[in-house]
Amino acid sequence: MTTVQAEGLSLRFGRTTALEGVSFALDDGVTGLLGPNGAGKTTLLRILATAIPADAGQLRILGADPRGAAGRLAVRRRLGYLPQNPGFHQHFTAFEFVDYIAILKEIVDGRHDEVRRVLHAVGLDDHRGKKIKALSGGMRQRVGLAATLLDDPALVILDEPTVGLDPEQRLRFRELIAHIGEGRTVLLSTHQTEDVSTVCQRVIVMNQGRIRFEGEPSALAAVAMGRVWTSRARADGALAAWRTGNGDYHNIGDPPPDARLVDPSIEDGYLMLIDAASLAGAA
Amino acid sequence: MSARDWHVADDDLRAYAVGAAQPPWLWSTEAHLAACPRCRQRLAEHVDPAAVRAGWARLDAELDAPRPGPVEALLVRLGLPAHTARLLACTPALRRSWLTAVGFALAITTAAAHLARSNTVPIPLLAIAPLLPLIGVAISFGPRVDPSYELAVVAPLHTFRLLLLRCTAVLSTTTALTGVASLAMPEYGPVVLGWLAPSLALTLLSLALTPRFGPVTAALAAGFGWLALLGATVHVTTGESVLFTAPGQAGLAAGAAASAMALWKVRAAFDTNRHLGRAADPTTRRTM
Repeated sequence: MTTVQAEGLSLRFGRTTALEGVSFALDDGVTGLLGPNGAGKTTLLRILATAIPADAGQLRILGADPRGAAGRLAVRRRLGYLPQNPGFHQHFTAFEFVDYIAILKEIVDGRHDEVRRVLHAVGLDDHRGKKIKALSGGMRQRVGLAATLLDDPALVILDEPTVGLDPEQRLRFRELIAHIGEGRTVLLSTHQTEDVSTVCQRVIVMNQGRIRFEGEPSALAAVAMGRVWTSRARADGALAAWRTGNGDYHNIGDPPPDARLVDPSIEDGYLMLIDAASLAGAA
Repeated sequence: MSARDWHVADDDLRAYAVGAAQPPWLWSTEAHLAACPRCRQRLAEHVDPAAVRAGWARLDAELDAPRPGPVEALLVRLGLPAHTARLLACTPALRRSWLTAVGFALAITTAAAHLARSNTVPIPLLAIAPLLPLIGVAISFGPRVDPSYELAVVAPLHTFRLLLLRCTAVLSTTTALTGVASLAMPEYGPVVLGWLAPSLALTLLSLALTPRFGPVTAALAAGFGWLALLGATVHVTTGESVLFTAPGQAGLAAGAAASAMALWKVRAAFDTNRHLGRAADPTTRRTM
């Protein structure tokens, strides 16, 4: 069974169109959701997490329709959601906070054992008794992730969990996400193309409330095939160009005839898509 | 013979492992085990691994079991289930700072009522007391004041139930504190309890308006509405108001009942974040 099936989801906030005709499907494994600020990623995640309803479109999550109260409850019982800013009660310890979320999730039997299990899963065994306010940003994100994993959810939604983490913490978090994605569906919103290339089996690119790409990460890189080249000087007419560590310029766009083409990365494909969409939007 | 040469005999270790060792031999063995890694290792061979694991698990559970704070402990002592007490422990209006502020406000209004002895009703208390639960509820629920609000909304526990739990707790504490303040003014008679019906009416009205305007705006509207109504009906010199007569109190009670019905009708709107006023939802403002 497909975990998430969305058809034509749309949502407006006043005069602002946040989502327009968004359709996609999610299955087991980690799917990355890439897009610039204001692309509609968080809105889409909040709809999938049943925090807000869409104005229009069809949505089935884990076989249930979240528009009705019964369907919403069915989804919530099998959902793990880590919002962009989870918001912690600072006076709680890590254990107490996860325990609080476990109560909200109506976990009755063996609640404390379940709290211990998820804290162990995210490597917080030695920090269970520490106050949230005393934990580092990376540790807090782990506490949030532990709360997300309560009751072994079938669908996990993570909204930019690697923001603000240092490189080592980000690496460890990616490890965790890859592990969580084994045997369940994970939707990971991120700004980091490295997150996508390292842990995601599929990727969705959003911009201006629409889906611009859906497929495998290698296919996203292929979007820029034949349109990435290096040069000694900044190339005129490139959509994007930057100087690399060896002093050469990395250019994306329509290459000149004598260009030295290189294999594109996911980031190149992403930038091609976003710039093309922005140019189309401006026109 | 030095402690280094001497080790606990196998039979004694076995007896110690099953809890059969008796003092003073028990004390001697324990003292030796603390200093001798070799005997500790030998002891492990005599202990059932499952029993050790169970022991560690019990110890773990003891060590990181949540330690209830004063409010949570009090609620449990009053007979509330531990998980309900934990949900209420996150209510800002049950924190010491808020309860102190309520106590301070009541002390001032009570003192003001005593100073205005010419009045036949304690108008400062009757005007301010209904606003206290209103403010308490406004700061106890919603995206602006509850850091984990988004997580609470998408949890299986119905948000409306959480709201009612917290409101009941806020109303109970403010009612108890205001009741104590009322006891300090026996000279006014039953009219001193005139704050009860408007407290209920204003709190329920603001909750019923919350899905449309958000918790803070709804509370402000109800609060200013109350002050305007009071200002329009109160007699300047005596402090009397039709609101604190029997018909006025009946009208306020009817208003509370109507608000309760309206709240029940809109309860489903609390199930998602959309209806609690997008202006009050920081996540929709910050990013899409």
